[in-house]
Amino acid sequence: MERFFQLPWQVPFGEFSLKIDSLSLMFLMAIFILVFCAGVYAVGYMREYQGRRPMGLHIFFYILFSLALVFVVLANNVILFLGAWEMMSISSYFLIVFHDEKPSVRRAGFLFLVASHCGTFLLFLMFFLMAHNGGSMNFDLISHTSFSSGLAGVVFLLAIIGFGVKAGFIPVHIWLPHAHPAAPSHISAVLSGVMIKMGIYGICRVLWILGVLPDWCGYVLLMIGVVSGVMGVLYALGQHELKKLLAYHSIENIGIIALGLGLGLLGESHHMPYLTVLGFGGALLHVLNHSIFKGLLFLGAGAVIQKTHTGEIDQMGGLAKRMPVVSILFLIGAVSICGLPLFNGFISEFIIYFGLFKGLASLPLLGAFGCGLGIIALGLMGSLALACFAKVYGTVFLGQPRSPSAVEPWGKTSSWMIVPMLVLGALCLWIGLFPRRMASLAFLGGGYLSHTDLSSLNMGIIFIPLSFIISALILFIALMVGLFGMRRIFLKGLIPSVRETWGCGFSQSSARIQYTSSSFARLIVELVKSVLLFKREGGEVRDLFPAKIKLTSSIQDASEKFFFRPLFDRLTSLSKKLDIHSIRYTQMYLMYIFLYLIFLLVWKMK
Amino acid sequence: MMNIIFLILAHWLIVLTLAPLFVGVITKVKAFFAGKKGPSVFQPFFDLQRLFQKNSVYSRTTTWVFRGAPIVNLAAVLLLSLMIPLGPFKAPLQFSGDILLAVYILSLARFFMIIAALDTGSSFEGMGASREAFFSCLCELALFMNFITLSLVSHSISLSTMIGADTSLSWNLIGPALLLVAGSFFLVILAENNRIPIDDPDTHLELTMIHEVMILDHSGVDLGFMLYAAAIKLFIFAGILVPIILSIHAGNPIVDMLIFLGGMLGASMAVGIVESTMARLKLNRVKNLLLIAVAVAFFGFVVKMWKG
Repeated sequence: MERFFQLPWQVPFGEFSLKIDSLSLMFLMAIFILVFCAGVYAVGYMREYQGRRPMGLHIFFYILFSLALVFVVLANNVILFLGAWEMMSISSYFLIVFHDEKPSVRRAGFLFLVASHCGTFLLFLMFFLMAHNGGSMNFDLISHTSFSSGLAGVVFLLAIIGFGVKAGFIPVHIWLPHAHPAAPSHISAVLSGVMIKMGIYGICRVLWILGVLPDWCGYVLLMIGVVSGVMGVLYALGQHELKKLLAYHSIENIGIIALGLGLGLLGESHHMPYLTVLGFGGALLHVLNHSIFKGLLFLGAGAVIQKTHTGEIDQMGGLAKRMPVVSILFLIGAVSICGLPLFNGFISEFIIYFGLFKGLASLPLLGAFGCGLGIIALGLMGSLALACFAKVYGTVFLGQPRSPSAVEPWGKTSSWMIVPMLVLGALCLWIGLFPRRMASLAFLGGGYLSHTDLSSLNMGIIFIPLSFIISALILFIALMVGLFGMRRIFLKGLIPSVRETWGCGFSQSSARIQYTSSSFARLIVELVKSVLLFKREGGEVRDLFPAKIKLTSSIQDASEKFFFRPLFDRLTSLSKKLDIHSIRYTQMYLMYIFLYLIFLLVWKMK
Repeated sequence: MMNIIFLILAHWLIVLTLAPLFVGVITKVKAFFAGKKGPSVFQPFFDLQRLFQKNSVYSRTTTWVFRGAPIVNLAAVLLLSLMIPLGPFKAPLQFSGDILLAVYILSLARFFMIIAALDTGSSFEGMGASREAFFSCLCELALFMNFITLSLVSHSISLSTMIGADTSLSWNLIGPALLLVAGSFFLVILAENNRIPIDDPDTHLELTMIHEVMILDHSGVDLGFMLYAAAIKLFIFAGILVPIILSIHAGNPIVDMLIFLGGMLGASMAVGIVESTMARLKLNRVKNLLLIAVAVAFFGFVVKMWKG
């Protein structure tokens, strides 16, 4: 399914050619749902800043950002795509640095800008290589030409790195964990839910254009998926700042999407259309699902942070009693992101698992090992994500308040913020219980992406298990209702009494002896401490008598610490050396520009 | 349709009556090793009856999550019981990919148990929750590894077919791989159901508990549901292992039922013997044991791939 739209445009090599097809449909749905919900949310969220900050500027850039996102997905021409891509990056920069009075926010925004442009540089290279081979700047026309195996490989690698920076593949993800906590919550939601999917969209579009790829490409994407997924969730386990933790979970889910895409590519190169459609379809459905539940989580985090004025999980606690609606919606988001049944995360993970098991059975040795590794990695990611979100939900919403900021009185959360979260939560439940609609759209997109004809395939192979799952889940809900009724009957006439939590005889229990986020995750983090660069200082008992002890534990991002920071430091020192010959007066710069323009004019006139 | 409903009811009847009996047999075996007469095999039934008649006490700190967790837990294991064959009764819920639903429904139950434990705001339950979250990561790793090997052996991804419900698993062809899978799966049974050497179901010291300490604050009907769910989960896990080992199919349903019951009796005695002869491992050694389970499962996978 594809529709075209064209307008005359004066830009050289560019044409205002738009195309909507089954592939871009999934991304467009994610964009529209999340941009709309986050926008409505922002009305309530930004109310406290009205009058104190330039809101009009923020709204302007938000609209520009949304337009840019839509044009990135619809663009059918290299120049239009790159123009929309740049507009997306720059407008999101201005959205991220809303709180620019904080130096950490300014640094995060600058890192985001640098990373984005490093990626875009590679994209320029890649697109011009493709356009040169295809003889045109139009995506459709380029896709009709054939690429040599070597050129396809080079283009693929450039796409992985260039779009991977935006998507958040490890190791080029380092801007993500800084940008998300810095941005206001509704912007984090759109960044995480939609903008990083634009990286995935770019990779999908390049895969669509290239058509046939060498065999090793599928393995590369599979490995990237495995590494990003497992490392992302391991880093998330060590975090104690709410939005940074959610940012690392986005990296994990991008890993799952890359896993699905890798499986699809393996299916393509081994000529197994079922694997292809299951892999690509599962990945596209996960794109939509992740944008919905990640948006829900970030909006919920924003509601919590707005009231407690801190993002530190260990300062919160017992918020479920004070914000009941937000806590239930956050729970829906948490259950969805762990991929647990009843909600949408399970459906897309099931499709990818199903494809991986099929690949395990039917692919030759190396492919079977790859699929086995993918299954193991997905299982590990699921259980680690469960641990992480049990930690987050338990520490933030349950238990007793851990600090005064969780106890001080505050007003009700604005309805402007609650209603979009309700919409997203309802969508999670709907796709989880009735996935047929969205799943078939995702498979259409997957078929389009791989140039496979879906009518020749029997999609019942996945829809029949999905319908069994739905009946099983309805039975599960009925069981829960039945057991609830049975408990009512057992407790008939008896009124349960309410006491303090059983403390094994402790009379002076305080909120501080509860498990914190780092103590909960400690067992897992210490198992992989060399990978996470886990450091623990202090905390030893030295003296005979009780005294104050200080304990700090931290984990560091290895890619940032060992690769990018040294690289940036090297580049900065290099550019400082070149700075000796700097010009002191601005007027000198202007004179040089003027002279250069004259030179160009004289040259052109010849 | 009526066939399915009959199978569902038969499954629930068998599971609800035999699961506490399974736990009773384990206790009897442990008592025998200790030279005691021990409680009757039917003691778990009396315990459940007592609990269902009692009133509940709820903590002030808890929310609806605490009250909902036992229901989610019991509903999940009841759903899971429909996915395995019990003797001559085929699983009423089987489809390609149902192992994923099985594993993830258990994860859903586990998630609610963990957050219900954190809901009490007590460090005891937090301890149990943290340990449970960690050990389940390693258990699921071993479980998935086993499922990969079994799916390669049986060429399907439906739990009933993988454990040899319809066609016997060919032990003479792929014996070594299946042996490794069975060994690894036995360790997973011990870990997932909180048996020695991973956890001690009898002690009530927070330093040595994982599952028991998570349900420390539940009382009355809630505690009854939690204990029942734990017993059914153990029964189901053993019910997955028994058909793998005893891959015999007589045509006669009564003989099949006797074989199944005999196998379950043997499994309960095996668990009881392991619990009586071993001590609980030091907590930082438990992860080594679970990683051994993962390694054994991995070797099973390698052996299967080697044999082709």
